[in-house]
Amino acid sequence: MRPENYQAVNHPPSNEFELNFGPNHPGIEGNYAFKVKLNGDRVLEAKADAGYLHRGFEKLMEGRLWIQNIALVPRICVPDPAPMEICYSLAVEELGGLEVPERAQWIRVMQLEMSRLAAHLFTFGGHAATTGMYSTMFWGVADRDLILDRFEELTGGRVYSIFNLPGGVRRDIPEGYLSRLGDLLDYLDSRLTDYDDLFFRNQVFVKRARDLGVMSQEQALKWGVTGPNLRATGLPFDVRRDDPYLVYDQLDFDIPTEQAGDALARNLVRRAELQQSIRILRQIIAQLPHIKGPIRCPIPNPLAWQVPAGDSYARVESSKGELGYYVVSTGGEKPYRVHVRGPSSMHAVQVLENLAVGARLEDIAQIMFSLDACPPEVDR
Amino acid sequence: MTKALDTLLDSLLGELENIRVQRVTQRRIRVDVDADALPTLLELLQGRAGYIHLSAISCVDWVDELQFELVYHVWSYETRTLISAHTRIPREPGVYISIYDLYQPAAFFERDIHEMFGVYFEGSPNMEKFILTEWNGPPPMRKEFDSEQFVHQHFEFENYQPDWLRELEARGGGITKRPEDIR
Repeated sequence: MRPENYQAVNHPPSNEFELNFGPNHPGIEGNYAFKVKLNGDRVLEAKADAGYLHRGFEKLMEGRLWIQNIALVPRICVPDPAPMEICYSLAVEELGGLEVPERAQWIRVMQLEMSRLAAHLFTFGGHAATTGMYSTMFWGVADRDLILDRFEELTGGRVYSIFNLPGGVRRDIPEGYLSRLGDLLDYLDSRLTDYDDLFFRNQVFVKRARDLGVMSQEQALKWGVTGPNLRATGLPFDVRRDDPYLVYDQLDFDIPTEQAGDALARNLVRRAELQQSIRILRQIIAQLPHIKGPIRCPIPNPLAWQVPAGDSYARVESSKGELGYYVVSTGGEKPYRVHVRGPSSMHAVQVLENLAVGARLEDIAQIMFSLDACPPEVDR
Repeated sequence: MTKALDTLLDSLLGELENIRVQRVTQRRIRVDVDADALPTLLELLQGRAGYIHLSAISCVDWVDELQFELVYHVWSYETRTLISAHTRIPREPGVYISIYDLYQPAAFFERDIHEMFGVYFEGSPNMEKFILTEWNGPPPMRKEFDSEQFVHQHFEFENYQPDWLRELEARGGGITKRPEDIR
């Protein structure tokens, strides 16, 4: 603005002002914004502002073949794409009455847990960066890259694998893959103590995250919170355990919980989940060689596949919480309707708006990252 | 657990008229109910059967039947079952009742459905635009809205004909079908 065009506005004397937090802000996850009303640096009111990422996935899916949508769905959540493919496939398989071979189910669980590890490492990095600790970010991203290497070897794609399809998976695991995955798990396991020293026990993080964005179990249930955020309030609910899919009922793992319900507790739950995912993956490495058989069941010509009419609602536990796909078919070659329920549609909107009130401006980013909110799941 | 749940549901749902219950799988139950009875159904399920988690509200546009179908997916942490309650409302005027008093997560889903399908929920805390802030067209998830047609009406394809492409086409190669030929 030219100085001659500047016109001073007379406000009544007050410390209150409004601030646009995002969409271009280093402290916000993805393209997302908050309209924040502040008194000094204390938040009085926060309103979520979405739409910067809207690509109309649900509408696009209605115009594509059942099989084509596999290439579309992982793009809904970039850091954790595997659950998207698998959840969509589960919903379509239920409609089509397909029985997924056991070997394919194990390979799917392997992807889901690898994706969970990668997503959690990314989240820690993001959260650490909001407190100025960029080393954790660099470490997290570097270690995530090693997991992406394994994804690349298995599927050909580092981030979006487009590897699952209704009925199973595209390819079997390469030779020697499980031993390389085992080496990676040993490495990640050995890194956990380093992460503890660098981040989880670091007082810069602990003192800021403790008692920040506190949510009671009652509030969490009222606001529709799921995933690690719910478990951080003491409720051991996990879709993998309580509404099991694939072969999770054959695997041995714990559901880590914390009681405090603050930003620290949410991160500690994710830290404990890393160990559980490593534990699950080690069981898969031990079991998978003994499970023989096909990797997918026969499906009709995918280019002219008419999925029987009906509707189905599939749920999986993504790294962020409960992910749901409601799919409706009228017996045509394309879905009639697909509705995606992303866990962040609660966490990034209603929960964040509530938790931000009373916090300080510099803590909004921390609260958002502690909730692991993923804006593309809101926009879709 | 299954038998106890069946008994509980039978006793609850016996209080409502015109209701059809179908057990799809061990942990999935489908309920079809009239639009005016749905809030009562959800209140009963939440208050007396522990279905306290609203997983999602999905909307389906049945344009040929001039109806919207609303599907409320509710989960019970106790019985570990998911009930999908289906109801249909007339497409015009497309007005229904909010269940925000029962389930707070409904605010997001109702706002989303209002924006994408144009269904107005009376009593919902915020029906303002959220995702499509600068959109003035019809609700885009309605079946009559054709995204491709909209693109062709409002935008033009760039006339992309560089020299190398002309040469290639002169030799019989290049882009043999133009977008308008494919349509």
